[in-house]
Amino acid sequence: MILEGAIIYSNLLVLLALGLTLTYITTNVPNFAQGSYAIVGSYVALTLLRLFDISPYLSLPVLFIIGAVVGLITYLALKPLIKRGASVEILMIATLAIDLILLGAIGAYSEILSAIVGSTQAKFVFANLDFTVLGFKGILFVSTFVIILLLIGLYLLLYKTKFGIALRASMENPSLAQTMGIDVEKTRLFSWILSGALAGVAGGLLPFMQEIVPATGGLIIISIFAASIVGGLRHISGALIGGYVIGISESLITYYLASVFGTGFLVYGKVISLIIMIVTLLIAPYGITGTDWKKVKKLLSGA
Amino acid sequence: MIIELISLILLWFGIYYIVSLSLNMEFGYAGIPNFGKALSVLVGAIAVGGILDRLLMLYFGIGGGLIEGSTYATSMINDVIASNPIVGIGILILAIILASILGFVVGAIFILPSAKLKEDYLGVTLLAISEAVVLVCTYNLNIIGGYYGISTPDVLAFVSGEYRGWVFTGMVLFIAFLVYLFFERLLNTPFGRVLRAMRENEDTVKAFGRDIMKLRIKTMAIGSAIGAIAGALYSLYTVNIVANAFTRVEWTFFPFLMVLLGGKGNNKGVALGVLCYVIVKVLLDVYKYDLKYTLNIPFEPVWLSYMLFGVLMLLILYYKPSGLIPEKPIITAPMKKKIIEISNK
Repeated sequence: MILEGAIIYSNLLVLLALGLTLTYITTNVPNFAQGSYAIVGSYVALTLLRLFDISPYLSLPVLFIIGAVVGLITYLALKPLIKRGASVEILMIATLAIDLILLGAIGAYSEILSAIVGSTQAKFVFANLDFTVLGFKGILFVSTFVIILLLIGLYLLLYKTKFGIALRASMENPSLAQTMGIDVEKTRLFSWILSGALAGVAGGLLPFMQEIVPATGGLIIISIFAASIVGGLRHISGALIGGYVIGISESLITYYLASVFGTGFLVYGKVISLIIMIVTLLIAPYGITGTDWKKVKKLLSGA
Repeated sequence: MIIELISLILLWFGIYYIVSLSLNMEFGYAGIPNFGKALSVLVGAIAVGGILDRLLMLYFGIGGGLIEGSTYATSMINDVIASNPIVGIGILILAIILASILGFVVGAIFILPSAKLKEDYLGVTLLAISEAVVLVCTYNLNIIGGYYGISTPDVLAFVSGEYRGWVFTGMVLFIAFLVYLFFERLLNTPFGRVLRAMRENEDTVKAFGRDIMKLRIKTMAIGSAIGAIAGALYSLYTVNIVANAFTRVEWTFFPFLMVLLGGKGNNKGVALGVLCYVIVKVLLDVYKYDLKYTLNIPFEPVWLSYMLFGVLMLLILYYKPSGLIPEKPIITAPMKKKIIEISNK
């Protein structure tokens, strides 16, 4: 039962961490607004449910598109700064500003929606809408299916198309790719659109897991960064590995500690992911995928 | 009404100026993107609510939980302060000392996990640590009362209610001025110049035999100590602490806005930035319901202010990256002499 929750949570973290890693690799921007992207998706799903009675699962394609638009807008907002060669700190502050704008927009929107529907919509969950298969929550299958679909899609895109090769080239070495005639601008645009779209989908699924409030995005950003950093911010596969490492350990360790010290411990899940992140940074600053494992092996056997 | 507004604006100016000055040293001078500034302010609240309140409970022999205990303890000490102003001043000074010591220690520890990292990793780690600590303080009722909150002593219990705001504002402005003098002196020493050098090019500083990690730890320790003073003053002003008041938006993002608006690396410029922000903030705060009903906004104006300040931040980054008053080159005493010599020729 607890493992089920851990896997669902990890699936969603992978979606979010993948977006974060993608934009970090292509544009060098650690995006603090990634969490709020998801919450935009959550509220759009809520709107479709309340106003048009559309199940959140069916609204996923809409969330994909809306998320893509949010990602695109963010990139357009950052573009003048990137063009000017602004420092990483300045770009980070810019994404913090975008996060704040999104937070304000989400908060305002939640109250507008409350007025339309006639009851408060500031806090909500979808858990009661979920179906069950063989005693497992539907979200487990849906989120896993989304991940598999995404991985197949990414594989086909990156390894079977010309654009994918260009994309990989510009991730590996943007300046060399540019001299080879690859339009780095296009790959950046693509990564931001995909990043937003994935976050939008994650946002539609998140309310099946936990309660959503406008500020939720600001909170889950810790886990997203933890997942990306633990996996290694420089590789796409890092987000996948990191997402599962953080997601599963956050759920399981918190659950274990709660069973030892009482249920009051359940609220400290974020602290666990933070600790894992810090330990990773101290031991392997470039994360799991950024570490040269052959060297580690040699070192271990040598010692 | 206007008079009260001015008092409120000046009070917030004082508190935010202290926070912004410390952020300006960390970010403007030393180039450390401290996205966890809120933590140092929270530490000030912990010094007052978690330590000072407990000391008072111990002094008056009050047992039991922190939340109820501190209510008794603070009302008892308020009675003492009402008849003896010196006790009030003493408690204020004690609170500031406690806050700055705790802030210094926490700041030094706070940067340890990330002191060797690049700017982006550093910023992310600082943000994450700060968020996690706020989270723990919110849910753990034993630190500073969590979401229930606890009361703090009224160091001005001897002043009658109608003047309390003014006296407190004066006090905060005086302390802010002292902090300003402290930073102006500190940053005009070789230490301040090394910080700027570190911001511009770490490798050069390293090549000259300076330890970057030590410099960062020192900077963050001092910055956090000063930030904690602001947190302590804020807690003593509101006479009550609620952990979730120390949000990332309020105490990290807005100070960044003020520093960048005023001009990073320039303490006088930052004063202007803080003043601009505080005037808008207080006016929005006071008139938010008038605004809501006259403009017929169907939601709480606080969301609108978030969007507004977010957009403002982007505009500053686009059009005025060096702020209203840009950083000035350092002119040391020997340089001044040379300049005068040259201009006399």
